[in-house]
Amino acid sequence: MRRAPRLAALLMLCASGAWSCARAQDDAGALHHAQAAYQTGQYDAAIKEFTSLSRRPNASVASRRGLLRALLEVGRLDEAERAARTLVTAPDGVQLQGSLGRILLVRGQLDAAQRAFTAAVRGGASDSLTASVELGVIHWMRGQRSAARPIFEHFIDVYNARHAQLTAAELTAVGIACRYLGAEQPELFKDAIKAFDEAIARDSTALEPRLQEADLFLAKHNDADAQTAIAAVLSRNPSQPRALLALAHRLANDGQPGVMATLRQALAVNPRLTSAQTFLAQLLLDTEDYPGAIGAAAKALAVDSASSDALAMVAAAHWLQGDSAGFDSARQRALARNPHDGEFSAIMGRVMARNRLYAQATDFARQGVARDSTSWDAYGVLGLNLLRTGRIGEGRRDLSRAFAGDPYDVQIKNTLDLLDTFSQYTEVRVPHFVFMIEKKDADVIALYLRDLARAAYDSLAARYGYQLTDAVRVEMYRSHADFSVRTMGLPGIGALGVSFGNVLAMDSPFGRPVGDFNWGSTFWHELAHAFTLGLSDHRVPRWFSEGLSVFEERRARPGWGERVTPDFLAALKGGALEPVSRLNDGFTRPRYPQQVIHSYYEASLVCELIARDHGTQALVSMLRAYRDGLTAPQVFARVLHTTPDAFDKTFATYLQQRFGERLGIVDALRLRGDSTDAITAERAGDGPFADRMRRAVAAFTAGRRDEAFTLFQQARAMFPEYTAGKSAYWYLSQLDEQRGDTAAAIAALKTIVRTNDTQYDAHLELAALLQKTGDTASAAQALEGAMYISPGSADVHKQLAGLYATLGNWPGAVRERRAVLALAPVDRAEALYQLALAQFHGGDVAGARRSVFLSLEQAPNFDRAQALLLQLQHGGPPPAGRVP
Amino acid sequence: MLAAAAMLCAAFAAAQAPVPMSYVLIIAGVGGAPEYTQEFYQEGMRMANAAHTKYGVPDSAIVFLAENPARDPQHIRGLSTRAGVQKAFAHIAATAKPGDLVFVLLIGHGSAQSEQSRFNLPGPDMTAADFARLLKPLRAQRVAFVNAASASADFVPALSAKNRAIITATSSVHERNETRFAAPFVDAYAGDGADADKDGRVSLLEAFTYARREVMRDYHAGNELQTEHAMLDDNGDGKGTGTPGARTPDGGLSSRLFLGGGAAATTVAASHDPRVAALVQHKDSLEAKIDALRRRKASMDSTAYEHAMEALLLDLATTNQAIKPDSGGVP
Repeated sequence: MRRAPRLAALLMLCASGAWSCARAQDDAGALHHAQAAYQTGQYDAAIKEFTSLSRRPNASVASRRGLLRALLEVGRLDEAERAARTLVTAPDGVQLQGSLGRILLVRGQLDAAQRAFTAAVRGGASDSLTASVELGVIHWMRGQRSAARPIFEHFIDVYNARHAQLTAAELTAVGIACRYLGAEQPELFKDAIKAFDEAIARDSTALEPRLQEADLFLAKHNDADAQTAIAAVLSRNPSQPRALLALAHRLANDGQPGVMATLRQALAVNPRLTSAQTFLAQLLLDTEDYPGAIGAAAKALAVDSASSDALAMVAAAHWLQGDSAGFDSARQRALARNPHDGEFSAIMGRVMARNRLYAQATDFARQGVARDSTSWDAYGVLGLNLLRTGRIGEGRRDLSRAFAGDPYDVQIKNTLDLLDTFSQYTEVRVPHFVFMIEKKDADVIALYLRDLARAAYDSLAARYGYQLTDAVRVEMYRSHADFSVRTMGLPGIGALGVSFGNVLAMDSPFGRPVGDFNWGSTFWHELAHAFTLGLSDHRVPRWFSEGLSVFEERRARPGWGERVTPDFLAALKGGALEPVSRLNDGFTRPRYPQQVIHSYYEASLVCELIARDHGTQALVSMLRAYRDGLTAPQVFARVLHTTPDAFDKTFATYLQQRFGERLGIVDALRLRGDSTDAITAERAGDGPFADRMRRAVAAFTAGRRDEAFTLFQQARAMFPEYTAGKSAYWYLSQLDEQRGDTAAAIAALKTIVRTNDTQYDAHLELAALLQKTGDTASAAQALEGAMYISPGSADVHKQLAGLYATLGNWPGAVRERRAVLALAPVDRAEALYQLALAQFHGGDVAGARRSVFLSLEQAPNFDRAQALLLQLQHGGPPPAGRVP
Repeated sequence: MLAAAAMLCAAFAAAQAPVPMSYVLIIAGVGGAPEYTQEFYQEGMRMANAAHTKYGVPDSAIVFLAENPARDPQHIRGLSTRAGVQKAFAHIAATAKPGDLVFVLLIGHGSAQSEQSRFNLPGPDMTAADFARLLKPLRAQRVAFVNAASASADFVPALSAKNRAIITATSSVHERNETRFAAPFVDAYAGDGADADKDGRVSLLEAFTYARREVMRDYHAGNELQTEHAMLDDNGDGKGTGTPGARTPDGGLSSRLFLGGGAAATTVAASHDPRVAALVQHKDSLEAKIDALRRRKASMDSTAYEHAMEALLLDLATTNQAIKPDSGGVP
């Protein structure tokens, strides 16, 4: 009984005879050609050739599977399903059941897909092993883990028994099985990578194992390894839609330009790629384009009506618009397939966090872990967002759970490592604030931060008519990488600070090279976010919150906050700036490298315009309107009595009025690329002004002072607002000094410090010149400003202490002497003595006695300290002429 | 009364004992580039000047060897070759008396081959073992040996011995980047910021502490990763530490090594006035009590400690004030 079919097959083979052999050779060549076209992304050509081959009598299984795979990859799902259903009716149709199953799986028809995969497995199809793993996946999607587990575990036996004989596709199936098992046995994630690597070694042209690797690495937030896998795929097939999607994810994770362009490339190849449409929906949610997000998710749902990821986007869009009915409906649909799905809530949590709704993110994540206690992803989202809301202990606990379940998530591992360093920090509590600062820096930073925080709080509370409900936690990180991990779990963030509401994290004043940033203005900026987020119940759009924060920086102190730059003018001239109605895109989907920076400044200009035309109270009213759940058009209508489109025009006019006459000094920024998400830009900030500066600097360097002086004056006249870096003002101050014109040098330096908050040397130089001219008060003011750039120089503190002493400002002198002491001088006895002296002059006899005691404890024979001690002991006024 | 008189005699005897001499040998290594040659010369000159003008070391006891003696024949005594170094050590060994201080400062580049530190000289380099041989004759002297070069760590185990304080700019031979230690170390002697206990003189320990902290601050200010970690060994165990102290295993000897003999500015010259002599005795006693009290600090109630310390400090201040008019030893 068993031999008959084999005999029949043999007879058929013989009967087909010689013509068949020749034909077979032709077919092999054509098949190879078709497969090559498929693997290099020439999908139309591949489909044409596969179609031709599959129509021939005795068409090979490979050609028919190739056709279905190619149709599937470009999203021609109807054709693919039709063809597959026809092909499975052929005598050897069982070989196509797996392909049919994959098409049905993509379309969300789990029952039908399961039947097809089962048929492939039971029928002994040559791809039965890969069909088998898909059966496990279907069970998993339904939450039937007890059914899925033995299927996946079988792959370990298969691997152990005959891995040397397994094909690349079968090794890939082993890897997939291991990845699913990794949810419960995390060590199997490593086996998954091992299997994928072996699949690649088995067939170096195979793209699927690389795609699987990229996906797994992205899920673990390991972008570097993901990028390696993605690059390997795209180098072979630049049109591979899943690789393009993975690249878009990677770019988004790293905050790089080109996310949307790459995603659109993926969708151009396969517009029905549900994961790509879902990602598009997520990006649109990030820019508060809720209808757009729902539209993109709908396209995904048109393919798979039960896609929980797409439904999560729909649910999130409804939730963010306050549409609870819409949200409930989407949630019910999402959980219909798997009522125990924790991932839906984890996704919701992530969306909430991206929209700065951290408390809501924790609520959703909690629901996720309640639904699935093994959802390490949901635990991770929960832990991270608890940290963002200042609940450090609880956050650590849930992150530890996530780590125990999945130790390979880089974001979680990094964050736990960071939490381990918290023992090196100390907490300083003052009204309204808790400062977390590295112990060795805490004394000196707190001296300034305490006063700055009080001033900022009082100022912002008055401006916004709002009090923060809880104490603000301010975390200052000496390592930028640590700050970055605190912010997003990964190193590499470009920002200086971040506000999660009442939790602020930022680089410490000692966390960057001197002159890199102004920590005072950064703190003020982030605290302003706490107010605008709080007042709007975290509903303020990103652009508006950032604009207000920069606006508040400028209102806080002269020189603080972004200022106009040549490259901003170039962007304006080139039409590269986003209109106000799309300004969120400038932050979340930058089209060129400087766009985020430009967007901060642009947003602040919007606030200036609103304040000019409607009063500063209008800014507060807008925040309240957002809090009330109004959309942007409603807010603009209610407060500004206009529409977003009309406001765009008003703002464009404002920009022209304000900067129009400057546009001639720069070349227009030209975006390069053929989409709205261009990757590169050319000639940012170049033009006549830059040419003049170059000539001036060349003359200065060559020692041609008169020529340099003239050229720098011309440059300054061309762009008098520009004081960043080594500006014309800076050079002119040097030349003025050389010419003996101290007054002119002072004027130039004053312009710099009044309009720029990072020019440390300019502050010091100005102070020195002012001191020389006897203007002690202004000199002290200049040094005071320098402290918010860097409080790390003991010499500058000593200088400022001296100036304050001259001015009789003893509290100031005492603070500066404390700062010297906080910087751990070798000559501690002297520092304590000087502190004691300032305290004594300031009337703090007890403090002075304490300080001089500490000085003498260290240096018992310190004669000046002994004299002071005796004077304190015997009473009397501070020593005359002993001003520190 | 009798005991006090005996102590007084002892104090006079101590005051009349010969003050130990200091011999200073500064070796500026090969620069390799004009800017380094200039830098090494300048630091060496600063040290030589400080030793002479600030600490009273006679010119005859200062030897400065450098790459190019012709540039400053008045100060540079010879070429810093192996032969020049050997000759200088031989001269000091022949001249120095027991108890004298021999202060050696190497400024330049260092390297490590086969895990052995070398100091780069014009011509053949010298290893730690080479210097160890040159130091052998100086058994009766106290030696302060400072290698401010890169990859210098190996000098500690090679040179460590009783009555020797060894300082290296690095804690590992793998710290091979150009070091910054020399400049602040010289600053400690040439400037005014290193005298932490305000006794008017700078001990080797104070100079080390100052330089180490300034190096750290310099890297810190530039937001750079520190590539050198200086260490000191002076208990002869061949193991250096970055945090020595007067009362820790390393640091005791260094806290007593002063250039130029180092009589403390507050130490009063011998006086035949019995009133002053008694005050000096009282002052010594107070200093001893303060030192003892500080040692007990950790085990004491803080209020009781502060109360007792303040009383002693007041007494000391009053005593010093009383000494000043008659002694002429005004600090």
